[in-house]
Amino acid sequence: MTILLMGHPNVGKSAVFNRLTGANITESNYPGTTVDFTESYTFIGGKEAKIIDVPGTFSTEPKDEAEKVAMEILKEHEDAIVVAVLDATKVERGLYLALEIMEKNYPVVIALNMWDDAVKQNISIDVDRLEEILGVPVVPTVAISGEGISNLANKITEASRIDAEKLEKRIENLQNEI
Amino acid sequence: MTKTSTRKLPELEYGEEGLIKKIERDLRNQLVARGIREGKKIRMDTKQPINGPVVVTIGRSTTSLGLNLANKIVVEVTHDDSSDGSS
Amino acid sequence: MKFDTERRWELIDKISRETVNYGADKTTLKTILAELTVKPLTGIPFAVAVLYGFWAFFNAFAGFFTDGFFVPFFDNLWLPWLQDIFPLEGSWLYYVLVGDPGATNSFEAFGILTSGMFVAIGIVLPAIVAFYLFITILEDSGYMPRLAVLVDTILHKIGLHGFAVVPMILSLGCNVPGVASTRTLETKKQRFMMMILLSIFIPCGAQLGVMLSLIPEYFGYIMLYLLVGFFLFGYLLDRIIPGKSPEIMTDVPPFRLPTAANVTRKLWVKVKGFFTNAIPFVLLGVGVVNLLYLGGVIDWLSSVLEPVFTGWFGIPKETVAPLIAGFLRKDLAVAQLSAIDMTGFQLITSVVIISIYFPCIATFSMIIKEGRRSGGILKVLGGSLLTLSTVVFLWGGLLHLIGMVLGVR
Repeated sequence: MTILLMGHPNVGKSAVFNRLTGANITESNYPGTTVDFTESYTFIGGKEAKIIDVPGTFSTEPKDEAEKVAMEILKEHEDAIVVAVLDATKVERGLYLALEIMEKNYPVVIALNMWDDAVKQNISIDVDRLEEILGVPVVPTVAISGEGISNLANKITEASRIDAEKLEKRIENLQNEI
Repeated sequence: MTKTSTRKLPELEYGEEGLIKKIERDLRNQLVARGIREGKKIRMDTKQPINGPVVVTIGRSTTSLGLNLANKIVVEVTHDDSSDGSS
Repeated sequence: MKFDTERRWELIDKISRETVNYGADKTTLKTILAELTVKPLTGIPFAVAVLYGFWAFFNAFAGFFTDGFFVPFFDNLWLPWLQDIFPLEGSWLYYVLVGDPGATNSFEAFGILTSGMFVAIGIVLPAIVAFYLFITILEDSGYMPRLAVLVDTILHKIGLHGFAVVPMILSLGCNVPGVASTRTLETKKQRFMMMILLSIFIPCGAQLGVMLSLIPEYFGYIMLYLLVGFFLFGYLLDRIIPGKSPEIMTDVPPFRLPTAANVTRKLWVKVKGFFTNAIPFVLLGVGVVNLLYLGGVIDWLSSVLEPVFTGWFGIPKETVAPLIAGFLRKDLAVAQLSAIDMTGFQLITSVVIISIYFPCIATFSMIIKEGRRSGGILKVLGGSLLTLSTVVFLWGGLLHLIGMVLGVR
């Protein structure tokens, strides 16, 4: 089993990686720290899993070297599960990347990282509803303190592929309910 | 009474807000994944001197753009007619 | 099935309306500071204050440990003890490992175990720890992108953009991660320029530490000359090298309080790296130079290169040995230079030449490794050797000329 950690630069992917694997990768509060990718092994659901900390990228259409590396890694691991790490204070643009990856038919789990910052900034996110709409597991995390990480690890095995057409219908139906 | 005017992004004053009206095509592709797109509210935070970059906030994210990039963004500003008629 | 961009955003907006609720954003000390540090009127003085604080901290921290602890330890305990117990005085092994049997301080003994250990641990280690402690705090707080925005105006004039400040600052610690981080720059042109400029003109933390400790009175002149060179050759390279120089486009993340755990973990990784990657090179450098001395190679090279050194650069031929050590470690080379008998201006010139003549081996191999991504190895190798030799002869020779014109010796 291969797990790719993907997300924008500076959303705490490396911190999530450290927490999941117990490794010592350093992270910084500025974009583009992870230029080389890092991989490590851990046990997820009793099975050994390779986890790759993919360089930060805004989109699956690369704009610079780090993003190119990220896309090469994604293409090389067609059977991987993707943990999309989102900044909980900037959900929309995080979802843009997550959707792109889901459209490419990868099974996805979403980590809403920096959840504590979102709380501080008065941003509330209905996690259950989001999970329901997207059809993939959504887990709030605070990687820097470790909160939510074990939950995330448990949910990785529940990652699922989505049917984009059904997703589209679910979203359109939301409008009708309101 | 309110009236609207369209301006290039760097022509916004400090702290002024507007709606993104148009982004030139080549730049639009680069910005779209960052959530900078037409119809979004944008606020001018600072402009650096001597043709330096601008810093803008869209939603909860702050981004810095070089001046020539910023010039490719057209913003629609709505302002109160009673307080300030000039542009 | 794939959505197009417009459609994808439409869907996300709908999801967001259903699930995300944005309350009023609170104004806190962090958000106020976030604004002030990026506005030019307040941000530039703040940046100057940060850099000054960096400088003062670096000086105080490194000075405290080097002068307060390591100098007495190495001179009063380590050296006499070694001279006392080490057998075979007069043999080549003694010369290589301990050095001058009559030396009264660890620095001038010039053996692997004396000067080598002293430079690596006594001078460079405190400098490295001080540097990375400060940098880690700057990195984790989110200040770097703000600095990048502030300096973008200047750097864009030489074809780089503000984010080039990250490789520049990292290089002040060690050129190797500096070169590696050029990967975050967008175009081949920018990456090549940055690699070359930083490996030539930016002295690493180890070298800074040695300069501050051994030749503090000349530090300012050397740094100024290197900085001017950085911008001048940056300007020239920008004109000569074809390619695009795109403008800055970067997120400015909010300030975050660095966590002690992350800071110590990072610091530990760097210090560990220093022990495994740098110290062996310092010791090897001393050993190689000592062996070359014993074999007469240094004397031979000195006399061969003498016309260039004395004629073109105006520095004594004895500087050949440090120059050789400089391939391995610049810090060691500067330390060796400071022990050579020459005038102040010659010392400034020779330290400048040590800095610019060639990157240390570790940096050079990183340039070759990164060359793959920045235009191909041959291009990068050829380009960098050409730039290097031009810079050394022009910029080094010019300093000699300035000395002659000003009449300083």
